[in-house]
Amino acid sequence: MISYIAIGLLSLLTLSIPVGIVLFILGIGIDQFFTPFPLLRGLGNLVWSSSNSATLIAIPFFVLLGEILVRSGVAARTYAALDKWISWLPGGLIHANIATATMFSATSGSSVATSATVATVAMPQAERLGYDPKLFSGAIAAGGTLGIMIPPSINLIVYGFLTQTSIPQLFLAGLIPGIALALAFIVVTAIICGLRPALGGETRSFPLAEMVRALVDLVPIILLFAVIIGTIYNGWATPTEAAAVGVAGAFAIALAVRGVTLRMLRESLTGTVKITSMIMLVVIGASFLNFTLSSAGLGNQLREFLGGLGLDPLGTILVVVLIYIVLGFFIETLSLMVVTIPIIVPLVVAQGFDPIWFGILMIVLIEMALITPPVGLNLYVVQGARRQGSMTEVMLGVIPYALVMLAMAGLLIAFPGLALWLPSVL
Amino acid sequence: MTAERIIDVLRRLNLGVAILVGVGLLACAAFVLTDIVLRQVGNSFGGTDEISGYVMAIATSWGMAFTLLELGHVRIDLLRTRLPGKGRAITDLASMLILTAVVTLIAWQCWPVLANSLKNGSTANTPLETPLAWVQTPWLLGWVWFSLVSWATLLAAAMLVLAGKLDRAEAAIGAFSEAETLK
Repeated sequence: MISYIAIGLLSLLTLSIPVGIVLFILGIGIDQFFTPFPLLRGLGNLVWSSSNSATLIAIPFFVLLGEILVRSGVAARTYAALDKWISWLPGGLIHANIATATMFSATSGSSVATSATVATVAMPQAERLGYDPKLFSGAIAAGGTLGIMIPPSINLIVYGFLTQTSIPQLFLAGLIPGIALALAFIVVTAIICGLRPALGGETRSFPLAEMVRALVDLVPIILLFAVIIGTIYNGWATPTEAAAVGVAGAFAIALAVRGVTLRMLRESLTGTVKITSMIMLVVIGASFLNFTLSSAGLGNQLREFLGGLGLDPLGTILVVVLIYIVLGFFIETLSLMVVTIPIIVPLVVAQGFDPIWFGILMIVLIEMALITPPVGLNLYVVQGARRQGSMTEVMLGVIPYALVMLAMAGLLIAFPGLALWLPSVL
Repeated sequence: MTAERIIDVLRRLNLGVAILVGVGLLACAAFVLTDIVLRQVGNSFGGTDEISGYVMAIATSWGMAFTLLELGHVRIDLLRTRLPGKGRAITDLASMLILTAVVTLIAWQCWPVLANSLKNGSTANTPLETPLAWVQTPWLLGWVWFSLVSWATLLAAAMLVLAGKLDRAEAAIGAFSEAETLK
């Protein structure tokens, strides 16, 4: 059965059938060939119960929040303000890319939205100020991946939904690794540009008065983050409800900067519907596949398979990491996550690992998948925002950051406390 | 009606649907927000969770067709992009046919869910006791709509391919590059 899924998955995906549909087909196949039960009869109920979910409505809310911030011009202001504060480091504006991406990660739940936001506002600057395009665009692609790690994160919501893990705990667990990654990106950039000044642009410093004035533009985003996270951990609201609060906050900010127009509203709403349905087709397909796999007794098969390999827990985790790195080259990230969760998570948990910790480790690996070619969504997003140059430049530019992520995965395995400490004390 | 016209009409209809769905989501956010505020002063509508769930199920099913026409459903186009124009058109048609078949099956399998609720007069197991048929009817219609739009799009695209208008067909059922997919 395991080989049936692996082969079926890869060949159907190669035929470029939409990912969500592939998951349904595999589920139907398992029903037909591997179980005596008429599972197909459960399909309708599964489609209903997996989409009738107050947890998942957080997805359109967080998407909408991001759309409003981008389309009302708040993103551009944030970028300009951060530029004034940290472009004195070797590497100059590159740090503003990373910092802006980090801040937007803290309000938007999606990596692609984050890097699209930063790329749109940053790219014109790079050309004007004569930056080396490689590191500059690499930093945006890598910084953008933080969107799924620093809470709120759509991917963590999906992970929590499919594995029945606490979403507030997952959010807390992602905070320290997310911030550590952002800092590591900045340090690595400063070191690289210190050694090879040609890779960065000029460092810039601004008069103190101007810096202080720029702070005003950072306030809305910080406030929004504080409100979203604060309402969750004060027990005022569930993550879903906090997302609704976030939408209202983003709307208020957009109104304050006079960024609300009828066109902007329409585009934000239809953009939200499009992304939500895209995600949901995959999620519903995965729920159905999940259901057929567990009815067909995949768990036992996997345990036997692993028992046959004779790996210890550490060996298992290393194999899992390797699987993600390899698959990450070829499979789009949300699909990668959703397809592998039903198979890998029970296996890892059976080895005694904490599902929350594994969720964070998985996110780091998924972040890497976002920037590894040939299928690395963020690479394309950043390239799409550039008006010249080849894709290869972006790919070269992300290498140092991809290595940082790999190191972070190693650190998480060595020190699980990085992820688990914060949820345990709060 | 020419194939181009069909696609055009479908796109417009679904844009309207998407705006309605978006407004519905916005209204739901406002509703949830009001409830949070009311809760702080010791009052509450109750049942916001339940209602959000229904909104999500209905929004999801009705948004599907819009996403289809916006080429928003993720496909892995590793092989597809390496094919010449004709091969790509055939891959797209085949993939569209499979999607249409599966979506039709989903819509078909969703009917018994509503039929059961109607037959038993089922209500949700919650304080609101929502009659499930009220919310499952629009939900089911969304999937039926997705299936109808898929058939129409498939036929229009097949007509375009047969007429040799490969570019037009690709614009209707092709795939954007990875980046475009999520913009």
